[in-house]
Amino acid sequence: MSPDFSNSVKLKYVKLGYHYLVDHILTLTLVPVMVGIVVEIVRLGPDELLNLWNSVHFDLIQVLCSSFLVIFIATVYFMSKPRCIYLVDYACYKPPVTCRVPFATFMEHSRLILSNNPKSVEFQMRILERSGLGEETCLPPAIHYIPPKPTMEAARGEAEVVIFSAMDSLFEKTGLKPKDIDILIVNCSLFSPTPSLSAMVINKYKLRSNIKSFNLSGMGCSAGLISIDLARDLLQVHPNSNAVVVSTEIITPNYYQGKERAMLLPNCLFRMGGAAILLSNRNSERWRAKYRLVHVVRTHKGADDKAYRCVFEEEDKEGKVGINLSKDLMAIAGEALKSNITTIGPLVLPASEQLLFLLTLIGRKIFNPKWKPYIPDFKMAFEHFCIHAGGRAVIDELQKNLQLSAEHVEASRMTLHKFGNTSSSSLWYEMNYIESKGRMKKGDRIWQIAFGSGFKCNSAVWKCNRTIKTPTGGPWDDCIDRYPVHIPEVVKL
Amino acid sequence: MELFSLLLIVPILYLFFILWKWVNDLRDQQCYILDYQCHKPSDDRMVGTEFCGEVIKRNKNLGLNEYKFLLKAIVSSGIGEQTYAPRVMFDGREECPKLEDGISEMEEFFYDSIGKVLSRAGISPQEIDVLVVNVSMLAAVPSLSSRIINHYKMRPDIKSFDLAGMGCSASLISLDIIRNVFKSYKNKFTLLVTSESLSQNWYSGNDRSMILANCLFRSGGCAILLTNNKALKHQAMFKLKCLVRTHHGAKDESYGCCIQKEDDQGRMGFHLSKSLPKAAARCFVDNLKVITPKILPVRELLHFMVVSVVKKWNLRLGSAPEGAPEGPIKAGVKFKSGVDHFCIHTGAKAVIEGIGGSLNLSEYDLEPARMTLHRYGNTSASSLWYVLAYMEAKKRLKKGNRVLMISFGAGFKCNSCVWEVVRDLGDGNVWKDEIDSFPPKSLLNPFMAKYGWIQDEDPTTFKFPDDS
Repeated sequence: MSPDFSNSVKLKYVKLGYHYLVDHILTLTLVPVMVGIVVEIVRLGPDELLNLWNSVHFDLIQVLCSSFLVIFIATVYFMSKPRCIYLVDYACYKPPVTCRVPFATFMEHSRLILSNNPKSVEFQMRILERSGLGEETCLPPAIHYIPPKPTMEAARGEAEVVIFSAMDSLFEKTGLKPKDIDILIVNCSLFSPTPSLSAMVINKYKLRSNIKSFNLSGMGCSAGLISIDLARDLLQVHPNSNAVVVSTEIITPNYYQGKERAMLLPNCLFRMGGAAILLSNRNSERWRAKYRLVHVVRTHKGADDKAYRCVFEEEDKEGKVGINLSKDLMAIAGEALKSNITTIGPLVLPASEQLLFLLTLIGRKIFNPKWKPYIPDFKMAFEHFCIHAGGRAVIDELQKNLQLSAEHVEASRMTLHKFGNTSSSSLWYEMNYIESKGRMKKGDRIWQIAFGSGFKCNSAVWKCNRTIKTPTGGPWDDCIDRYPVHIPEVVKL
Repeated sequence: MELFSLLLIVPILYLFFILWKWVNDLRDQQCYILDYQCHKPSDDRMVGTEFCGEVIKRNKNLGLNEYKFLLKAIVSSGIGEQTYAPRVMFDGREECPKLEDGISEMEEFFYDSIGKVLSRAGISPQEIDVLVVNVSMLAAVPSLSSRIINHYKMRPDIKSFDLAGMGCSASLISLDIIRNVFKSYKNKFTLLVTSESLSQNWYSGNDRSMILANCLFRSGGCAILLTNNKALKHQAMFKLKCLVRTHHGAKDESYGCCIQKEDDQGRMGFHLSKSLPKAAARCFVDNLKVITPKILPVRELLHFMVVSVVKKWNLRLGSAPEGAPEGPIKAGVKFKSGVDHFCIHTGAKAVIEGIGGSLNLSEYDLEPARMTLHRYGNTSASSLWYVLAYMEAKKRLKKGNRVLMISFGAGFKCNSCVWEVVRDLGDGNVWKDEIDSFPPKSLLNPFMAKYGWIQDEDPTTFKFPDDS
């Protein structure tokens, strides 16, 4: 055996020992104390113990007072704890086969619409080859026309199909009655008609008149986690309530119809999708809820001009509206992630990792600034990772930064392949993938990370409440056996 | 066991400490307005009768019948000569606006109002913890809240929310978010920014239900600074007492009465149907049913209960007149006993008069809303704050007074809230320089004088004279 290998093995055991020591330090210090007390008791002998017990007089009033005190303090303690937010279940929209856009269809459309700009067509082809998307992603019916017909009626139609299917599926899965919904939050970035999409949902399902509804808009692909944050704040204040969060992105009105290359990129990546999630703080849901919300951390880098401008909606030279994605997107995403990790790290990392991080930080500041910064190992804090399927580059970048294995990012890559970039709902497709693969066990911790325009990086941490059995009744049910597929670097078109 | 009794003191003291902390936390959950600033656009954006006439003439799709309709609508709208319109109108480009126009309209308002309110209160933008923006008819990427965060370099851990599509009652919905956030977090500063984007929403067709929106909406906005820090209680202007939201979206008629859609020729516009007043009245009644017990003193509530029981008795005995109106409105509940001032959404003159009639309000009570409609038009979600500013400028707001805000919105929603005035207020805000000229002697709309002859024209022989 080479000395390197034996050294690395020894190092591994040292590391394991260190982690075990620091994580269980409280238990380890208590053990000698307990042993001491037990030895003392044994030494005293049973007779002495009996004498000790008899010498303590218990007045009736004192007994009553102390028990009352204990009960009262226990009640106050339990009442002042923040309420537990449970995710009872969620449903993802599965687009019909008729909406599929295989590469051939997309390229044919592109050639016909951009017939005067062969360079732009070639650009789109190159993007599609390297995008990581598959042949089964879907676009709404209005975009299948040549040229696309983005009327408001078509946009409303798409919204109705996506949102109502997801909601119907959610009602079926959870047995929820429309009259029981107390809070409704809908987030859709680029389409906000008046009355809002939340009013549309209230109208369709005849929800109660004292419902608290909110319609968030313009907040990008991380809006799903912003809605969860809002739902959490509301559920802390309103006891015994149900909150439904609907995350979607309506593609119809936002298909770029010009020829500017940077703006054609979103056309290649964004696809139809939506999800409806039921959150609750009712105690009765504790037994059947799938997950419990542990943390939500939001980071907004808007103060930095470069970060602010990297995803920007503007008009091109011909006055056509599209979203401009800057070239620095990856670097900015990395920076935003670092900020987010700095906040979420102390909340989720085990004590051992935090100590190491602190020591290296002190070392760098005091001793030698050249020490490499310690990147905490997030694999010790989470079992599953749901990274927003923004694009292949985003997933690659995060895999590198967080030192994740291929299995950790498999859910994200497969979602990108099967459904494309469905914006705020992609996290839920990924979650469903992990469940469908039978990997979700009780006690597992999941980290959802999403990036959005502005530039925002939001994370949510969930803890699995019960082992989830397959099939889950989600969009992956009929095809999960085919996955994972190998996605080549470049698909030749 | 004296030692034991002495030891008992420790948990008792701890108990009192916990109780005190609990009560303290409750006090930290109050929502205070520190300051607010309404937006007064620059004078070059003022729209008078002349200009209105020109704009109407520019639209080639309108015929005589539409002109007659428009004349009637504008004359009876209650809108005066000094309202403001977006810059696209002055460039003649209202039928083909660009995205930049909508954004720059919003930015003009942001940098004016937000800058003023922050500097007056002495708060730096980095101290803002929560930002809620509501602009109904503009959804941009990055969101408007991101634009504000970028311009003022706000902190990375700011909680921002951007509401859209929620209509004219959206500022109270934003207030609902803020109120809930205040209950979970302590010592936070919040900025509520409310406005409406008109640049991209001009209707260029001739469907009558949609042209009405063109005449009524005007530019305006408001930035409000709120906090739940009780140390600042004495600097605050208002304290929130209660907020009630009612949503009638479940009724198809209510949902469809105020909706953004395309007309028969595919032109986008804001459709206001004839059933809007009825839907509004129904929603208003439901909202009142919930908020009335929260704001009226017990004596008045008991009086109302007794009166309604007597009425029911009479009905059963068959001695009450047929068609006696129901609900708390006509039962003679004296709202003035619990509320001193009324901030009514300036949707249209009919809205103000409808509410005035239902609640038995006098001209004095309706004056702020009427004057706001006259001076600023219907500025959508921010109109309530202009009305509030008018009352403040007229020095009507004294410590302990209660103000009821009522607003309606697409969907159909009715939201209302009650503010308590914390200290005597007298700063004029946007009305400062001109408050003494209100109310004006005559509210007669000059449109009638200038264009009244249209009523008598014959459609077949009509031709708009070039010199008018």
